[in-house]
Amino acid sequence: MEFRPRNYSAEEQSHAVTRVRADDHPLSAAPSSALHLQVAVVDHGNSDFFDPLRSSDDDGAVSRDVLLEVDNVSSVGLSSEASMQNSAKEWTSFNRILMQKFPVAKMISVSSMSSAIIKGGKMYEKASTSTHLEELEDPQKVAEDGAKLITRNEYVSRLHELKDEIIRAWRASDRVTTLKLSIKVARLLMDTTVLQFYPTLFVLATDIMDTLGDMVWERIKWKAEFAEDGARIYSLPENFQASDIYSDAKETCYNWFCKIGAIRELLPRIYLELAILPCWRFLTDRPEESFQHMVMMTRGLADPLASAYCRLYMAHCIEKFPTRDKGYLVKCVNDIKNLLSWVVSVKETANGNIIDNKRLLVSLMEPTIEFITKCIFKDVTQKQVGNILVELELGRNEVELFGNFPCVSIVLHHLLKELPIEVVSSSAVEILHVIECSNDYSFDQCLNYRLLGFRLCESKSQTDILNTVADKIIQVVTQYDSLDEYLKVVDAFLDIIFQNQMDNHLSTVLEGISKRACNKGPTEDELGSLQSILVKLLSYYDGLQEILALNHFLEILDVMYGSSRSIVNMHILNMATRTACIDGPTTIQLLFEISQALHDDMDFLNVKDDDNQPAHLISRFVCMVDYGAEIERHLTFLVECRGAFGSITGLKETLIHSSNCLAIKSLKNGSKHLGFVKSCIAFCEVTLPSISVPIRQLNLYLETAEVALLAGLVSHSDGLINSALSCLQGLDLMDGSRMPIDVDGIVSSIRKLCGLLVMVPGNPEQGATYFAKNILSLIDLQSWMKPKVRTKIFCAIVSLTATLSQNKLPYHGKVLGNDHLFFGDSSYSNELTLLAKYVVQNLVDAIQQEPSSAARGSLALEACNCIATSFIASEEISPICTKLLETAKSCLSHNDRYLQSTVKFMDRHWPSSSIAAAV
Amino acid sequence: MSIELKLSRTSRVYRPSELLEGKIILKSPSSISHYGIRLTVNGSVSLQVRGGSAGVIESFYGVVKPIPIVNKNIEVKPSGKIGSGTTEIPFSINIKKPGEENLEKFYETFHGANISVQYLLTVDIMRGYLHKSLSSTVEFIVESDKADLLEGPIPSEMVIFYITQDTQRHPLLPELKSGGFRVTGRISTQCSLTDPISGELTVEASAVPICSIDIHLFRVESVLLGERIVTETSLIQTTQIADGDVCRNLTLPIYVILPRLLTCPTISAGPFSIEFKVSIVITFQSELSKLHSKSDPGTPRLWRALETLPLELVRARV
Repeated sequence: MEFRPRNYSAEEQSHAVTRVRADDHPLSAAPSSALHLQVAVVDHGNSDFFDPLRSSDDDGAVSRDVLLEVDNVSSVGLSSEASMQNSAKEWTSFNRILMQKFPVAKMISVSSMSSAIIKGGKMYEKASTSTHLEELEDPQKVAEDGAKLITRNEYVSRLHELKDEIIRAWRASDRVTTLKLSIKVARLLMDTTVLQFYPTLFVLATDIMDTLGDMVWERIKWKAEFAEDGARIYSLPENFQASDIYSDAKETCYNWFCKIGAIRELLPRIYLELAILPCWRFLTDRPEESFQHMVMMTRGLADPLASAYCRLYMAHCIEKFPTRDKGYLVKCVNDIKNLLSWVVSVKETANGNIIDNKRLLVSLMEPTIEFITKCIFKDVTQKQVGNILVELELGRNEVELFGNFPCVSIVLHHLLKELPIEVVSSSAVEILHVIECSNDYSFDQCLNYRLLGFRLCESKSQTDILNTVADKIIQVVTQYDSLDEYLKVVDAFLDIIFQNQMDNHLSTVLEGISKRACNKGPTEDELGSLQSILVKLLSYYDGLQEILALNHFLEILDVMYGSSRSIVNMHILNMATRTACIDGPTTIQLLFEISQALHDDMDFLNVKDDDNQPAHLISRFVCMVDYGAEIERHLTFLVECRGAFGSITGLKETLIHSSNCLAIKSLKNGSKHLGFVKSCIAFCEVTLPSISVPIRQLNLYLETAEVALLAGLVSHSDGLINSALSCLQGLDLMDGSRMPIDVDGIVSSIRKLCGLLVMVPGNPEQGATYFAKNILSLIDLQSWMKPKVRTKIFCAIVSLTATLSQNKLPYHGKVLGNDHLFFGDSSYSNELTLLAKYVVQNLVDAIQQEPSSAARGSLALEACNCIATSFIASEEISPICTKLLETAKSCLSHNDRYLQSTVKFMDRHWPSSSIAAAV
Repeated sequence: MSIELKLSRTSRVYRPSELLEGKIILKSPSSISHYGIRLTVNGSVSLQVRGGSAGVIESFYGVVKPIPIVNKNIEVKPSGKIGSGTTEIPFSINIKKPGEENLEKFYETFHGANISVQYLLTVDIMRGYLHKSLSSTVEFIVESDKADLLEGPIPSEMVIFYITQDTQRHPLLPELKSGGFRVTGRISTQCSLTDPISGELTVEASAVPICSIDIHLFRVESVLLGERIVTETSLIQTTQIADGDVCRNLTLPIYVILPRLLTCPTISAGPFSIEFKVSIVITFQSELSKLHSKSDPGTPRLWRALETLPLELVRARV
């Protein structure tokens, strides 16, 4: 058995592709041809390719015309089914939100007004005996607080029962009962003492109202279309006229209005009339005339809550008509406005309906304002907006859309929310004035400023307008003492400040924040705003340096804490690590502190290692730090990091990489830094054992060993290789069944180790093949080493021994290689040959153990190639190769490319042998 | 066996000069023979005296002889036989023949407390002595003939009213007297029966919170009893127009649909008269009112301010 002698440099030369000078850079395409290509694309696009983004100009015009046409159709035709369905859907979802928005206590105190509920449901009498006594003593008191308790569920189920009763009565043609029960339901809405339950009550009750309205509509429609005996006499078109309606049907319809008109109480009368509002179409072609009357009637409801919800229902009912006139809704909003200012001005009275907590009242009313303003601004034209604003008493005339008239701030808020964006951006200054003069407790003024800011961000406004607005806003916020308000407003306008390069404002704002925040630490709410502001700031600038140069930035950062602080820190780190490298001691120090804060705030127990964003960022930061020539300082930094971020597992790998890089860097600069390299390697050696993932640890050991070898530190590299081997040994124990071991990764690491071993000078005391033998013994011990893996490792070792046997090694480290150390030493070559023999034998055995035949075939080929390249053909070797080839032939198809090329290879290199013939 | 009268109009409203049309519907399991089917139209003003300004004795002998308006008897079918199953016999009657002299003017149908003007149509099937005669009655409603009505649209007459602590003729709560209030507005005093009572109202000031503002509609029925006229005022309908302490200086609409049958054109005939009143009642929040929650809403009370105005109702040409 004899190793094949190799001349690596000659082989390299013969195999290397001859180099030819290229004229062009492969990535820079020839300019002329590219241009040609582009033109071709454009031409193509014009003919039959429709690019929705590019040809928007002409096509957009067409579609607008179509839209206009659709508009006309819907305004001519009385009802367009689709839009009706759409608004019905909106109403349903609005109702759902309404019910969810206000949490309801389990028990509801019901006043004696709500007799419909009390009669039906079981009542929890307030200790009946004591009530009786009280009644004797003070009858007035009992009369006064006729409040009783009922559970929420009972209340709701009672309402459902009422609905069922109403439908049942209707089916039995008992219309009187239907009406009576409906009035009862509507009357429930008079009791606003239920407070948070009111929205839910409203939703349930108006559902019943709508049901009634639909039933009446259908009945009258039926009367108009069918004779008494059920024969169809007329078919009503979708957009029928009042003249199409048979007088009998009209009579019935009118009768309903009379019946409802005779209801004494105002609120149920309004609700029921609204429920059958669509029926006006049977009586008149201008049903809109009745809206006016309804709007006016609702003014008689003094209870703010009841009247606001009544108007909400009105808006819903008017939505059922395809009218474009928004005047009624505008009046509603105006009335709500008046009512609110009235409520604001009235002092607390004995009246139970005026709620002590006005804020609660306003919050309960808010959804109604929201819905109505949404309805108002739903597909309005520019001209209509002008009219609406004038009618809302905001504008003087259609040109001056906003005078300096105050408005109830919560109404203003929702108006501002719904105003078309063009109006907002063109009249921003005027709107600002309105906000300025509208300040009451119904809504925080600062939130309106804030909203204006956000709305302005939606589109591009003229610079002069924005400048005026920004100047004004800065003036306004300067007056604020509260940090919270300051932040809320500033946050909204920050984008505008950035986009228009108002740097002076930015510094004012930062100063303002720091002044207010540093006196007293920010609260949780304020932290949120601060976070938003700082994140915007960070995303606006490209480089960290610019931000750090801003006055007060660091002060503001310092007052932050908790998760907001962490988020801002993460943004800073993210930003810093986007650049090529991080240098400058102050920057590094700052980022180090930030990382430390982030690290201290991290919740390591709850975060999975894989998606731990802060940990990734910190690792990345550490990796990117560059002290330039101050490598000692850099190493110290790494040491500090190890101390500071002990709990981040991934970071240690980064530290080792960085340290190795440092060592290489110093090596390149000359060998005078050997002491430094030693410290780097010492650092790695100390850090390595604490890495918990064995495979990573293994690779890092190898990496460090390489570096050590490169620096000529043989004893270090020996030690590191030993550690790597013991790490391999411990692999099984460590991982066990917890997760599948990355076998291929390990194999490639071991191959890499074999490659490294070529350079490692053999230790005469331990024998030159000490490490290779160690690897072999390891294979026998490890249960997870399947035949496939073993084959591959055996092959690697065969190649290793073959390489080591050469007179000139293919590559060398800084230290003397084995070729120099053991040149001509027969015991050395004997040792290698012995080892190779042993391995080859094992190799053949291992292949036979492979259960899968396909795998066995390719393994046999691999081994065959390896052996053929490593040894000279001999009596000892040839049968082995023949056997391997036979194995491969039996396992693989005849056409297998690998098999064919192997056979060809054998033919060329071992022509004398009988292998080819045998195959 | 059943008999039913069905009028041609579901509203059952007819004018005196129009034909009263409809059908008699007979359902019978077997055929019946009869001595004739007759229809009777009967209209009258029934009067009674009860309460009001009547004395004890008068109210004891309450019923005053009714005043007949019309009484007609027509044979629809001479004696004969009607087959089994459902039989429909159409009819058509002149309520008032043109040129025919009548007992009394055709007053419009009115259902009041003391006075009621009612028109009935009755069908009778005479079946000899052995069988009970079959009969059925239906009320139809009479509205004045267009020809009898005033030309042109009725000018809607509006009256401006002021209600303050000083306009009240009854005692008020001391806090109302001292704090003061002022409610102004206008309301129609002449009104077509087909139109609502309209108007508007504004609470200009009120120191005491308002509880409710209602519009009460009253009928004033007077009956001539011998030498005396007995008058009674009673409530027809209440319509709330403000619930709670409404905003000051906000105009509220007054809008009351007139109930049918319970109202008619204002009449001043010899033996009786029917008039109407409307009153605006402001109820203030008061502890006292809670004790008297069941009291008559029209009565003046310490916590109420009111303004009553006469209301003339007319039938307009539509």
